[in-house]
Amino acid sequence: MHVPLLIIGGGLSGLAAAIRFARFIPDVLLLEQHSRVGGLNSYYYRNNRLFETGLHAITNYAPPKEKNAPLNRLLRQLKIKRQELKLHQQNQSEIRFLDQESLLFSNDFSLFDSEIAEKFPASHNGFRHLIELIDTYDPFRPLPFISAKKVIQKHLQNALLTDMLLCPLMYYGSSIENDMDLGQFVIMFRAIFQEGMFRPGGTIKDLLDLLLNHYSGHGGKIRTRAGVSKILHTDKKIHGVLLESGEEITCDYLLSTIGSEETYTLLGIPSGLKSMPRLGFVETIFEIQAGTPLPLAHDRTIIFYNSDKAFSYQQPEQLVDFNSGVICMPQNFENLPQASFKEVRTTHLARYEEWELLKNNQDDYKAAKETTALTSLPVAEKILGNFAQNIVYRDTFTPLTIERFTAKKKGAIYGNPIKIKDGDIGYDNLFLAGTDQGFLGIVGSMLSGVSIINQHILPRL
Amino acid sequence: MTRDAIKNLILEIIEDIDEDADFDALQSDKPLRDQLDLDSMDFLDIVMELRKRHKLQIPEEDYPELATLDSCVNYLEPLLADA
Repeated sequence: MHVPLLIIGGGLSGLAAAIRFARFIPDVLLLEQHSRVGGLNSYYYRNNRLFETGLHAITNYAPPKEKNAPLNRLLRQLKIKRQELKLHQQNQSEIRFLDQESLLFSNDFSLFDSEIAEKFPASHNGFRHLIELIDTYDPFRPLPFISAKKVIQKHLQNALLTDMLLCPLMYYGSSIENDMDLGQFVIMFRAIFQEGMFRPGGTIKDLLDLLLNHYSGHGGKIRTRAGVSKILHTDKKIHGVLLESGEEITCDYLLSTIGSEETYTLLGIPSGLKSMPRLGFVETIFEIQAGTPLPLAHDRTIIFYNSDKAFSYQQPEQLVDFNSGVICMPQNFENLPQASFKEVRTTHLARYEEWELLKNNQDDYKAAKETTALTSLPVAEKILGNFAQNIVYRDTFTPLTIERFTAKKKGAIYGNPIKIKDGDIGYDNLFLAGTDQGFLGIVGSMLSGVSIINQHILPRL
Repeated sequence: MTRDAIKNLILEIIEDIDEDADFDALQSDKPLRDQLDLDSMDFLDIVMELRKRHKLQIPEEDYPELATLDSCVNYLEPLLADA
């Protein structure tokens, strides 16, 4: 079999790239190793119910009139109408540093600005200057690493506020420890604080089905359970791939969305990329009775918390670091239909290497998952109010779960700390898109797929 | 294809990209991108639609020829003579 374009990975960047290409040239084949598409943003069934994985909220909310906002550009590029997604905006979210300070934010940036003016009056002028810098900065210009933390601290002159600004941005997309590149910070600040968060009216399955329908409507083809065992190439020229089934598929262009190092593995050559710690996470879903009040934070969509004196975003020494994390209540978006249950989701940093030690001992692994859920629970209750007695079901994902289902190396959801922004790793007809390109979130990863198709592939065909 | 037909074709393609595009004040000798708030990603759609609809292969170095409505018509007229 031969196709003009072959795409490895049916996550959101691969799906978006596939739709973009198929709009003009239908002969594209998308390969997904799992039985279901979505990658990190997928779903599973338990207790006759669908549970989402990955999705908390989608960043980069934009009203329809802002034509050049990432969300609207993406929808235009894929020819998907806004109405098809049924967008629901967040209620409001919070950055809470326990026993220190709290900041509320929503899709109306003036709330965040007034919170900072009220709680950090001495830093407010500096915050305004920081916004001016963000508004005029071009994050896509290739530059060496600039420490965002230093730049923010210089403007704000307040270590607590600096950490509070960084906390959500790091948790929602940083693959490096305790700092971010300034360009990455600007992208994330816009995506989360200036644009804001929303979710589709349906489940992630509805969103994935919508994308698949558009794709097949253009004539695109997909194969699931189609793992790739090798990329076939001579020097810098790609011929195609060898599937785990033994079948060979040749192509003119190959797009890999599985990560840079994962791609080098399939090429059969060392990546030459410096090895840096990869950040792993654990997430617990608590399904609770719909009537549970959660009195301390009933309307919050996401709470980014820290309970330590200083905030640290790094690989913990032990299995999990409960000192900081994310608490998400996926039902708290505007005008969502009332569901018959509620969810509280907690996310914390985890150490892959410690979980890996438990890999071959099912009992210890299960016990560690149990301990994770039971330690995370009182942390969440302290912030939300008690709900332990109303839990009807719970489940915990570890870095091993993520690695198993998504093939992300070490279960690191934000991928390699080293990003290849233009998707070019020096091959004639192979390009990368997705996480390791440095675009983040659902809108970012989809735009990454689209932009690589636009930049490297469509103009050459 | 006549010059008017080519003009209509381009406008139809743009309307397909952005259904809210406002052509009332459009000046045919000024860049389309600035007037219609199109970015480079949208612009590529014009090239790809011409390819899809009329099997036209427009090389990358010729993209600047499509900057204004007038230059589009001038560039496409010989290419679409038999269309």
